[in-house]
Amino acid sequence: MAERVGVNRILLWSGLALAAALLSIRQIAGHAAPAIPLPPDVAALDGVILYHSVLPRIAVALVAGAALGLSGLLLQRVLRNPLAEPSTLGVSAGAQLALTLGMLYAPALMDHAREGMALAGGLAAVGLILAMTWRRGLEPVAVVLAGMMVALTATMGSAALILANGEYLFSIFLWGGGALAQQSWGPTLTIALRLLIGAGAAFLLMRPLAILGLDDASARSLGVALNATRFGVIGVAVWLAASVTAEVGVIGFVGLAAPALAHLSGARTQGQRLVAAPLIGALLLWLTDGLVQLLAGVDGERVPTGAATALLGGPLLLWLLPRLRMFEWPSLNSRPAPSRRSPHPYRLIALFAVLGAVAVGLALTVGTGPGGWTLSTGPLLDTLLGWRGPRVAVAAAAGAMLAAAGMLLQRVTANPLASPEILGVGTGAGVGLTAALFLVTAPGFGVQLAASAAGAVLTLAAMLALSLRAGFGPERLLLAGIAMSALCSAVLTAVIATGSPQAFALLRWLSGSTNEAGPGDAWFCIGVAMLLLATLPLTAKWLEILPLGDVTARAVGLPVRRCRVLLVLLAGLLTAAAALFVGPLSFIGLIAPHLARLAGLGRPLQQGIGAVLIGAGLMVVSDWLARTVAFPYQLPLGLFAALLAGPYLVWLLGRSEARSR
Amino acid sequence: MTGRATITRRRVLGLAAGSALLPRLGRAESGRRVAAIDWAGLETALALGIVPVAATELIQFRKTVVEPEVPDSVIDLGLRGSPNYEALTLAEPDLILTSNYYEGQRASLERVADTLSLPIYRPGVPPYRLAAEAALTLGRALDREAEARAVVAGAGAEIARLGESLSGAVRRPVLAINFGDARHVRAFGDDSMFGAVLQRLGLRNAWASQSSYSAAAPLGIEALARMPDAIAIVVPPLPSDVVRGLDDSALWQALPMVREKRVSVIEPVNHFGGLPAALRFARLVTAALLRPESVRHG
Repeated sequence: MAERVGVNRILLWSGLALAAALLSIRQIAGHAAPAIPLPPDVAALDGVILYHSVLPRIAVALVAGAALGLSGLLLQRVLRNPLAEPSTLGVSAGAQLALTLGMLYAPALMDHAREGMALAGGLAAVGLILAMTWRRGLEPVAVVLAGMMVALTATMGSAALILANGEYLFSIFLWGGGALAQQSWGPTLTIALRLLIGAGAAFLLMRPLAILGLDDASARSLGVALNATRFGVIGVAVWLAASVTAEVGVIGFVGLAAPALAHLSGARTQGQRLVAAPLIGALLLWLTDGLVQLLAGVDGERVPTGAATALLGGPLLLWLLPRLRMFEWPSLNSRPAPSRRSPHPYRLIALFAVLGAVAVGLALTVGTGPGGWTLSTGPLLDTLLGWRGPRVAVAAAAGAMLAAAGMLLQRVTANPLASPEILGVGTGAGVGLTAALFLVTAPGFGVQLAASAAGAVLTLAAMLALSLRAGFGPERLLLAGIAMSALCSAVLTAVIATGSPQAFALLRWLSGSTNEAGPGDAWFCIGVAMLLLATLPLTAKWLEILPLGDVTARAVGLPVRRCRVLLVLLAGLLTAAAALFVGPLSFIGLIAPHLARLAGLGRPLQQGIGAVLIGAGLMVVSDWLARTVAFPYQLPLGLFAALLAGPYLVWLLGRSEARSR
Repeated sequence: MTGRATITRRRVLGLAAGSALLPRLGRAESGRRVAAIDWAGLETALALGIVPVAATELIQFRKTVVEPEVPDSVIDLGLRGSPNYEALTLAEPDLILTSNYYEGQRASLERVADTLSLPIYRPGVPPYRLAAEAALTLGRALDREAEARAVVAGAGAEIARLGESLSGAVRRPVLAINFGDARHVRAFGDDSMFGAVLQRLGLRNAWASQSSYSAAAPLGIEALARMPDAIAIVVPPLPSDVVRGLDDSALWQALPMVREKRVSVIEPVNHFGGLPAALRFARLVTAALLRPESVRHG
């Protein structure tokens, strides 16, 4: 039985390799033996193209795929985390931010130190993530969450830099999509050299690596210099990924999928995996690039290869998730201690309301103009209120809805790290919006809202279906959310890379802007927020009981499953309505409920009201910063929201472990 | 009309905004204050002798469009994609020039003043004629019909004259490209302004299909090998790392147009411009083609 399965898998991989080889032969044949006889100088040029473009492209796909496969394997092994890979750990996004900075501010440096810049960016991202999660013992879910946070913030930072400089850097788009076209053997040789060194290092570290797969105590008792080995391996993996990023751009999912597929294909021992993962990575990228070229028209490739791998890899990851044995998967014991409950919760709520009102007042009256900072009053204020009023209203309503959605999801899943952003609900809404933009010519507001709500609710439903198979465990839910979010982002990346008018609309939406908000939007947004938030008090009892666990909930007669479905539906609607206006990437939904709880609002209803006020206030402040910092150029709202929320997440991740350890 | 009241209110606003001297230059003879969201509209208005009160992305405009020159009095409105409506309101325009690219913003713009959409770039439509129409439309809207007719006729005559100076001198097809990075180019086809100008100059565009202008990776430079006898006109921006990459690229160096020094880099010109950009491109291309020995690149 096992024998036959093994043979089948070998047949499968051979078949895929054969397909990739045929695609390559087709490309080579087009140049080696042209259909019509050509004049000699053109024929000579064909040789040059074959030697300097076609062959290096095949080679670079192979070595880059192998390097990413090896990098992913090393990271997964050393972090004991099946979801670790260069893109989930923010290596690619960090490298991208560093390269964007270099291109804008130190072009001379970029001439010589491109790889160095990318490596510095990648190492900084990984360093930040490790520092954030160190005290949690590098727990997988925490690492992936921190990675996602860092990656998103870095991506937003790159977008903000591009926008603030008024440069629509073509090459950054290109490079962000990972394009494999080649004109010389340089990149191939660079990556191949790194791959050889990396493979050599991995071979030498084989024994310590195997031991690192055990828990820390066992590893230490076997005499491994734990941290030195760990950092060494991480360094090698980051170097491999950063050099691929510097040479050909961001290529997602190969690093994630290759080791997982190696495992599923029966590579059990460390040595087998060290061989199989790079081979499978090389094959995946080779095949993807062949398909991209096959589908390209005369006027060029429509999808960059880097985005295409993500499109193939996302569904693969979702399919893998229920099948992956989470090796020594630690339980999320990070539920924060019930913090001190305030004896006067309603005084606290009043305080938050006052602070929110101050934020609103600030955003309405203070701004920058042609003459610098101004406090507007009188007739000028009347004029400006026509613009600032709707913006502030939309920001406040969206912040409130995201905060409420975050509170719901955290309570329903009994998972302190759940939030609409992390569960992929916001990006799901984005995919719905994309569908509307492409399927309907000039979709009206109602259509956009319906499509984005459908996207959000479907995303949540898909995740529920996935995670219910393995029970509604907090870890699986988070991972399903992360996978879904990555898949949706890949769809958005592929669409944005087409450069169509819809793509620019999406790019603007992704960065989150309230700039176009008019009075109609404002009333609508406030109306939806009021309507949905009004249902919160009705759910208070469920929210009190559900976190106690299914058994308790059933014992007191709560229809558990129906409650969850209704709550998740409510959270999906709240997120979709908010994301339509402020984009998917804010993290307000994650932190507002936490801030409310930490302030001493423990009961669901009090926490909900507090979170709503805090979320509204934070979003108003973010919007005000986006509007004023680089006047008259406007920056992405999501950037400031993430920057306000990021430090708090770092603190949260560090803090809760200090106690539970 | 309410001219007097507007002026007093504007002065109040101007004082309050800390700029007591809000420019009056934008006042065309017709008495209209114009703001431009679209760059082609800005160029065309300037060509008609109208100085707008406000326009978008002026830092980038002065760098990449160069002419016509934008006077300092024009207020910068920020990004074209998300113009600063507060600054726009304070500039008090009574006509806003946009285009079909900014349909999503029309509702907001109309809260400030009337808009005039001047579409020049539509998929599959040669833009030169639309640019001329845009100039005439703008002339009618601003009581500058005579100037508009003169600008259109002048541009046509100038391009025809430039074409004559080229006739016989250039037999090869001409290719207008822009580098994305050292490995990718965008080619300007017949539906682009540059393609249309090449046609009017009596030149053959080596890129036969439509423009491959998008944010994605449209063409690897190996595609240039399919046009061995073409002359390439490189339109900036041309970042320094692209130049370095091309120097190292064996394929680029092996291209016949590079080996035989048939590649010219011209000065910056608006890729999505109006008549002034078309005329500027025509002048730059003619000068490049008539230069005795074209430089390699840079």
